Amino acid sequence: MLTVYYGDLPEAIFNTAVYFKNSYEDEWITDPFAKQMILDVDKSTVLDSGVIDSPVLGKIPPTSLSGGVKTVILIKNVPEKIFNASTCGDNCATWILKLSEQRNITINLRHIMNFGEGSFNIRISNTDTVVHSMKELVPIAGLYV
Amino acid sequence: MKGSYSITVQNKRIRYDFQIRRNITVIRGNSATGKTTLIDMIREHYEEGENSAVELRCDKQCAVIDGRSWKGQLSDLSDSIVFIDEGNQFVFSDEFASFIQKTDNYYVIVSREGIPSLPYSVDEIYGIRNSGKYGSLKRTYNEFYHLYEKSDFSVPVIPDTIITEDSNLYPGTCSK
Repeated sequence: MLTVYYGDLPEAIFNTAVYFKNSYEDEWITDPFAKQMILDVDKSTVLDSGVIDSPVLGKIPPTSLSGGVKTVILIKNVPEKIFNASTCGDNCATWILKLSEQRNITINLRHIMNFGEGSFNIRISNTDTVVHSMKELVPIAGLYV
Repeated sequence: MKGSYSITVQNKRIRYDFQIRRNITVIRGNSATGKTTLIDMIREHYEEGENSAVELRCDKQCAVIDGRSWKGQLSDLSDSIVFIDEGNQFVFSDEFASFIQKTDNYYVIVSREGIPSLPYSVDEIYGIRNSGKYGSLKRTYNEFYHLYEKSDFSVPVIPDTIITEDSNLYPGTCSK
């Protein structure tokens, strides 16, 4: 299940780009989940652990991936930390939900991310409430962001 | 600083064209739309000028500030358009809000999170969209677009109170 803490969370990693730059490992980039997400969100192809082919920027290193993709990769690979997922656009929401189908994850959001029209299971840790749609989520999350 | 300013930033692969109209502009939207790339290009031009191979056209100086030394960086800037990427927690502080009121710069801030300490207009919240290739060049062309349009509000709103701001008044002197 996905657990979200809305609002300021001092222990969360705020600047995820810096954390990624100084901690990522080659295998994080080449795993199938990351490859699919990079193709979907960044429209880029992983050539190997150190080179990604971007249609706009050309051949780029992993540190030049989008902020959203880097954050989701961190959420997947560093489960002991909580990351500021407000560095992710709405186009990363599907991937965060996919990750939460594999195991329990906790993220910090400082804005209302749109998790889409479908149903989901998200636990809002501020109130310990489980919500199943944006219609249920917004009135609670809106109190904290 | 008053008025609106057109900015063109480009290198061999990517070009941005946009206009800054008010003293605070916010950029947000989907991942991978080029927000950080824009800030990086402006930073490289500010640091290296023409030697950066980034071409920047604007009537005002464009600069980037970040990190813990933001106050010192800001002290050196006036009559400029200052860009701030996401990941800079200081933009949410009251100290920053108070500090920039004493400056004559315009600010362009990348943030999905609301910034309650700063007075900015919903009309000045933009996303960046790709508008295809620029002319016959293999350069991707990007522009700003309003993230929130009037057409987004399909449900009639019947407010209890309306708070307005006179455009000639300083932000903060709103009246009911």
